[in-house]
Parts: sequence; structure tokens; C-alpha cells
Amino acid sequence: MSTITDAPRTPGSEQRETFEPPRYRRPLGIGRDQLVQYGVLAFLAVLVLAPIVPTLYQSFVDRPLYEDGRVFTVEGYKALFTDAGFGEVILNTLLFAGLTTVLTLVIAIPMSIVVVRTRLPGGRFIALAMQWPFFISSLILGFGWILMYGPAGFVSVQFEKVFGGVPWNLYSIPGMAVTEAVALAPIAYLFCANALRQSDASLESAAQVCGAGPLRILMQVIIPMLRPPVVYSSILVFSMSIETLSVPLLYGQPVDIDVFSTFLYRNGLQSVDPDYTVLAAASTVILAVTISLVAIQAKLLKDAARFVSVRGKATRPRKLELGWVKWVSVVFIAFYIVFGALIPIGGLVFRSFTLIFTPLRNPFDFLTMKNYETIFTFDTYVQSIWNSLIVAGVGSVLVSSLAVLAVMVARRSTFRFGRGVEYLALIPQSIPGIIIGIGFFWAFAYAPFGIGTLLQGTLGALVIAFGIRALPSAFGSVAPSIMQIGAELDAAARVSGADWLMTFFRVLRVLITPAFAGALILTFVIMLKEYSPAVFLSSADSNILGTTMLELWAQGRTGSVAALASIQILITAVFVALAGLLMRGKHRA
Amino acid sequence: MPEVTVKNLSKTFGDNAVLKDVTFTIKDGEFFTLLGASGCGKSTTLNCIAGLEQPTQGAISVGGTAFVDTKDNIFLPPEERNLGMVFQSYALWPHMTVAKNLALPLNIRKVPKDKQKTLIADALDKVGLADLSHRYPHQLSGGQQQRVALARALVYSPSVLLLDEPLSNLDAKLREQARAWLKRLQEDLGITTVYVTHDQDEALALSDRIAVMASGNMIQVGTPHEIYESPAAPEVAAFIGRCNFLTGKVVEHRGAVYTIRLDSSDDTVTVESEQQVEVNAAVTVAIRPERLEVMPLGSNPEGQNRLRTEVLTSSYVGSRYEYDVRLGNQVVQVLSGRSGLTGEAVLVFEPAQALLFPEQVELSEEERDLLIVS
Repeated sequence: MSTITDAPRTPGSEQRETFEPPRYRRPLGIGRDQLVQYGVLAFLAVLVLAPIVPTLYQSFVDRPLYEDGRVFTVEGYKALFTDAGFGEVILNTLLFAGLTTVLTLVIAIPMSIVVVRTRLPGGRFIALAMQWPFFISSLILGFGWILMYGPAGFVSVQFEKVFGGVPWNLYSIPGMAVTEAVALAPIAYLFCANALRQSDASLESAAQVCGAGPLRILMQVIIPMLRPPVVYSSILVFSMSIETLSVPLLYGQPVDIDVFSTFLYRNGLQSVDPDYTVLAAASTVILAVTISLVAIQAKLLKDAARFVSVRGKATRPRKLELGWVKWVSVVFIAFYIVFGALIPIGGLVFRSFTLIFTPLRNPFDFLTMKNYETIFTFDTYVQSIWNSLIVAGVGSVLVSSLAVLAVMVARRSTFRFGRGVEYLALIPQSIPGIIIGIGFFWAFAYAPFGIGTLLQGTLGALVIAFGIRALPSAFGSVAPSIMQIGAELDAAARVSGADWLMTFFRVLRVLITPAFAGALILTFVIMLKEYSPAVFLSSADSNILGTTMLELWAQGRTGSVAALASIQILITAVFVALAGLLMRGKHRA
Repeated sequence: MPEVTVKNLSKTFGDNAVLKDVTFTIKDGEFFTLLGASGCGKSTTLNCIAGLEQPTQGAISVGGTAFVDTKDNIFLPPEERNLGMVFQSYALWPHMTVAKNLALPLNIRKVPKDKQKTLIADALDKVGLADLSHRYPHQLSGGQQQRVALARALVYSPSVLLLDEPLSNLDAKLREQARAWLKRLQEDLGITTVYVTHDQDEALALSDRIAVMASGNMIQVGTPHEIYESPAAPEVAAFIGRCNFLTGKVVEHRGAVYTIRLDSSDDTVTVESEQQVEVNAAVTVAIRPERLEVMPLGSNPEGQNRLRTEVLTSSYVGSRYEYDVRLGNQVVQVLSGRSGLTGEAVLVFEPAQALLFPEQVELSEEERDLLIVS
């Protein structure tokens, strides 16, 4: 007999059936997650070490890598430091880089303060205008400056006619430094402006409540806060001007002023029988300098992070009223933008539509499309445009994918060597483009299984070399966007039964798309402008815009150079505009 | 339904020990709560069970399956542990509908499509969201998101449910309702549940047992009643509910009845305690504000401990009055139903209502600033 009692609680008995949790195979204890992670590490290591190791090795052997009977030697270094020429090169480089850094800061610091922290007419427009170097390579800027301010430049000649002389000489170290500073100022500006925007506005309000006037606030509150970004960006600018090729090449070559990069260019490319040992020794020395600079910079940035006072809560900074000083500031900024960028670039574009470009004759009388016709009738020029597009197009997809993978491994996995992956992805920042070119040149000569001959002189070689150059920027652009995606989304997928790879493909891939697209745009533009590794890696079939322009420039065909430069600017602008339209609001650079 | 065993679990980041040799067992079907202030190691413990973090040392097993054992070099990755977990941010995948969110774990387990449909419908039904399966997470309210997260954690019938402060993002009123609902659901399902929270009310209301953690140690494991009524350490008393700490010296003791001279006011009080403390030992008397009573001067209250005090402030907090009274140079908090007391008064409590700890509790600097008056 049984009495009816409460039905026994059968908690969802029909649903209580359990499912096998997924099993992932791990032969030898290594699952596919680890396989991919180690794969990324190994791939990056090969990619980054490929140009460095052969250079190091070459610097210690007495003959080219591809020849037999190599003997260990330190003659290369001896020759480098006893050869009086290199001492002067070092001195020139230091002068150039130092002067550039100082000038950059002189332009950038006041500008960032007045734009971010004071009421300024047209402040938003100025902030936008400061992004111009993103579209224009320093090579093109150099062309423009020579056309305008060079010894026979449009502005110089005009100036001479009025005042009877020109007080500047572009073909000198100060001339180089001014141009380079104009090109690099926006970078320093960006650092300072970001720091100013992030800092807590209530600090200033507090000073204001205490009775401090705008000038006192400026001197005692705002400027001291700028110390970290100033230190950081000066090291960055310094190392960038050590590695730059364009301006020193264009300005220094005609008057025999050599800096590091042009020294390598001249000895590696222009001498009939280059001494590879000395070349490699010089590369190694320069590499040591740039790598230690970036190491210092990384260390400082780590410490500087402590200065970033507030995060998250956005306080809109109160803007100070400067009175008459603001008009001085506006004139100063307008001068920089108009004379630094607008006139040279505008002049260059205008040059592409004229036959003769001199203030002595009215250039409007010679308006023509002939420069463009020349470009489009010669296959080699058209080819170089296509080559640039292919390298930038294919390269940006590959580099952005690699960057996403690297960020995933470095920041979103428990991979033991995640830090290593991050360092490898960022190291190329410190390798000058021309050394990447030389390094790969040797690497291809030395590579096993005939990989070298397969790649030597092809667009593939350029994709690899340009890709490495663009990788740190891609990583830097992807990392913050991925970090914004809550880590709990991954954790939820992992606990639900997805391994690391499946989490990426099933959950994160879609969420990462905007970050990927942002990196794609950035790297496309960077790789379209890039050319310095190509001076060693390009063959007649794989010339790109930059190398073709250099060649034409050397031949004195300024009109064609101007036309190609205009085409490059146009491609960049159209690409960025289209990409911006496609993404519309999803990504804001 | 399995039992969760955690043995000698430690975790260090560099020199920083986050977990120090934690050992406990969670019984089958139990609602077990890890309670503590932020940084006490409770989330690290949960993440170690989930497999999201690797312990530096120790072993975890569920129902006989070893998840982690540092001695034998065993580490089962989270995806193979078959656990359900709800995160503080809910972690719903924002680009998938509610149904897709629930389908993913089933897809991974290769459950046939038609079976998936019924399972998803059942799970959503259980959390009362059957009609919302085609919505995206951002189209749901916080409470709904939280329930979807729970449905997603339950849909594949995991062996253990892990909850990482799932209610902390809800507003106060909703939180209390969600609490009761969660308790019913867990009782219905009978699933072993590990719950992490810093909210003592939540812990007391929900748990079968609570483990109180502080700076990487597990100080006490017990039922809510045990934790509240007989806290094993002053930290527990301070963290669960409010507590006044009065330091003093034992003057004499007869069996379980101690007479103690208070440092703050030189008064003597009697306290009943199971603790074994020598005469002259430095001790702390801990009394919860609601176990104290203030009376106007001149009334003749019951109770063995009667202390002269002065009312410093009185505040009306809705259901009761909160008094700050002065005992010597220390402020003591009292919760009382009596209104309108000012000036001199009598502080009363029963010896059995106070707790005795055989150590002197040092007030933190901040507490000293606020609680010591001259």
C-alpha cells in the first residue's frame, strides 16, 4: 500500500540526459591550439630574424655570403671606424636627427596645447589637417619641397627676385632637418594632444578655483603634464630620423652629405664593387643604435603609463581663453600647414600638369596632360603603379591577418611565449627599411631549397619586406581594438566547450572584423607609400611607385615624377575615402 | 551529480600569493558560496575550477575526474570540463541571437538539430524567456541578459554550475527578486553550484554553505547561520554584517563567563564564550549593532552589562534608528527601535550576545580616524 504524497522531485528528468563534453585530440600532448600558437611564434621569428641574422653573419665574414671559402674577420668593423668617412656620417646623422627632434618639438608642443586646451578658431579643422602625413610619403614631400624651396625652386626664385637673395639652403643638414621636422611634427603632436586630452580636466579647474589665470595654468599645470609624451615622442622622432632615407637622399646626395641611410644606399647600390663586409658592419652598428633607442622608448612608455591619470570616465577638458595670443597661434599653425605641406604638395600636383615650371614664365601657358600621357604610354611606369597596388593590396591582407593572429596569441591566449610573439611583432619598428632591404637581399642569397632564387627580385619579396615594416603598425592598431572585446566572451566560449581555435572562429572572428578592417586600411596606405627596402630588392620587373619615382628623379624628369606622385596621393585618398564609406562609423582612426 | 574537491590550491603571480593553500569539498547538489572582499582570491578559486586559470599548486577534481593536479602534471582545459558558467558581465556573444547563443555549446557537442531545438526551448522556458529566442543580447534588459546567460550555462546539462557575481550588475530591487528566483531554480535542478560574491546578504540568503575568504586564505566554511552567529575570526565578523570591536583585558573567568576590562572606557563587562583565554590576556569583545540597546538614563533595564554612554549622533534609517554612542574614547554603533535619545544614556547587552576573540583587533588607520574620539 502506498499513500499519495508529494511527487518525488525529478528535476527536469527528461532533460537530465548528459552530453559528452567535446574531446580534442592531443598527440604527444600538443593540441591544435598549441600547434597554431607555436606556428605563429616560429613564423614571426623566421620573418624577423631573416633580415637580421644574415646581416650579422655577413659583417663577420670576408666575402659575400653566396661565395665559398668564407673566413671569419672583423676587418669590416675596423675599416668602418678607421675610414674617416664613417665618422663624418655618424656626426651628420647625430646633427640631423638632433636638429629634427628639436624642430619637431618646437612645432608640435605649442600646437598641441593651443589646439587641445584653448579656444581656437578652426581648432577641429586643424586637428584634422594634422593627419596629412598619413596620406603623403616623405619622399613625395621631399620632391615638393625641392620644387618649391630648392635652389631653383618656385618660391626661392620668386623670393630672390623680391629680396635679392635667399637666406636658406635646402641642400644642407638644417634644410633636411626642417623638412623632416615638418613631416614628423604630426607624430609628436598626436602624442602630446592625446596626453592632454586624457589628463584630468579637474586639475585645471582646481587651479582655476585657486585663482590662477590662464597663463599660470598653462605654465604650471599643463606643461609639466606633457613631460612623458615629450620624452617619448622625441626618442621616437630621433630614431625615425636616423632611419629615414627619402629626405637625406634627395637633399644630401647632390652635395655629398651622408647620413646612416644614404651611406648604406651609396655603398650598397651605387658603388661598382660593393664591400659587403663593411656594408654589413655598418648595418649592424646602425641596427644596434636603433634597437637600443626603441628599447629605451618601450621602457619609458611602460613607466609613462603611470602618468595617464584617468581612464574610462571622459571629462571634457575646459578650454582656456588666450586672448590675442590665440591669433598668434593661428598664424603660426596656418604657416606650418600652408608652407610646410600645402604649397609643396600643391606645387607638385600643379607641376604634373605643366611642361615647364618656373616663376620666370607663366606656368599656366604650358598646361598639359603630357606628363600623364608619358606615364601611361610606357609599360614599365604603368607596371610600377600596378606593382604598388598589388604589393599594398596583397600585403595589407596578409599583414593584417598576421597581426590579428599575433594579437590573439600574445594577448588572448595562455600561450607560454605570448610575450615573445608580441616582441617579435614589434621589433621591426626598430629596423630601418633600407636594412630590411639589404638583409633580405642577403637572406635570399643564402636561403636553403632555392627559396631565395624563387623570391629574389619578385613582388613576393617586396610583400614580405614591406609587410614586416608594416607589421608593428598593424599590431598596434589591432591590439587595442581586440582588447576592448571583453575577455569574458572568450572565457564563456571556452567553458561552453570550444577550444582556443574554435573560440576564435565561432565567436571572436565576427567581432574582430572592424579591427581587421582598420588594420587593413592602415597597412594598405603604409605599404603603398613604402619604398626603402625596395631599393635593394626590386628588379626591373618589380619596380614600384617609389623606386620608379627615384629613378625618374635621377634622370631629371620632374614632370613624370610629379605625375606619379599625384597618382599615388590620389590612390591613397580614394582608397581611404572608399574604405571610410564602407565602414561608416564602425571605425574611426 | 558530482562532488567538487579542491585540495591545497595555491596561486602566485610573481611574488604575489593570491591563493594560499585552500582546501574544501563541495557536496553533491550543494549551493556553495565563496564570499570575500575584492582581491581575496574568490574569483581566482572559481577560475581555477573552471580551468580559466592554472593553479601554481594543488588539485581539483569533480566527481572523480581530475581537472587539475600539479603533482601529476594534469591539466584539463576548460572546454573539456563540461561545466556551466555565468559571468559578471554575462558574456553573451553580442553578434548572435539568444537562440544562437544557446546553440553554440550544443553544436560543439554535436547534438542533432531537432534535439537542439527542444533543449533550447526548454532552457529558455526554465528562465522564463521562451518568446525572446530571436532577440539579440543588446535588445534585452540587464535582468533578461542575466537569465539568458544562465540558460546558456544550463542548456547542455553541465556537471557543475559556476556563477561569478551574476547579480552584481542588476539594480538593487531587481537583484533581490533575482536572488529568490535563482535559489528556486537551483533547488529545482539540484545542480551543484559554486557561487562567487562580495555581497554578504546574497551569500546568506542563497547558500547551503559559505566559505569566507580574505587575502588568499579560506577563513571559515560553514552554514549561513554558523557564519553569522559564531564567526571563527574577527575578519569574518567584520565582513558578515556589522560589528563593533572593543579591545580589553581579561580580569577573571569562571567557566565560560569572562570579565573583561575595556581599554576604551575602563568599564568591565561580562561575556560568555567557549574560548579558552587566560586571565590578563589581551582580547577583543565583538558585538553587532543590533545586539546592543541604548536606554535613557534612569530607566532600569534588564541585562548584565550596563554601561554609561553619551549619544553622539542619532540617524533615522527607515526601519530603525542608528545611534553612534561614545564608550570612553571609542564610537560604538547601535541599531535600536527606540527613538529620540540624546545626551547621557545606558548601553545594554547580554553576555551571550557578545563574541570573544583571544586577540587584539587593530583598527585600520581609517577606522581609527572615524571611530576614536577624544
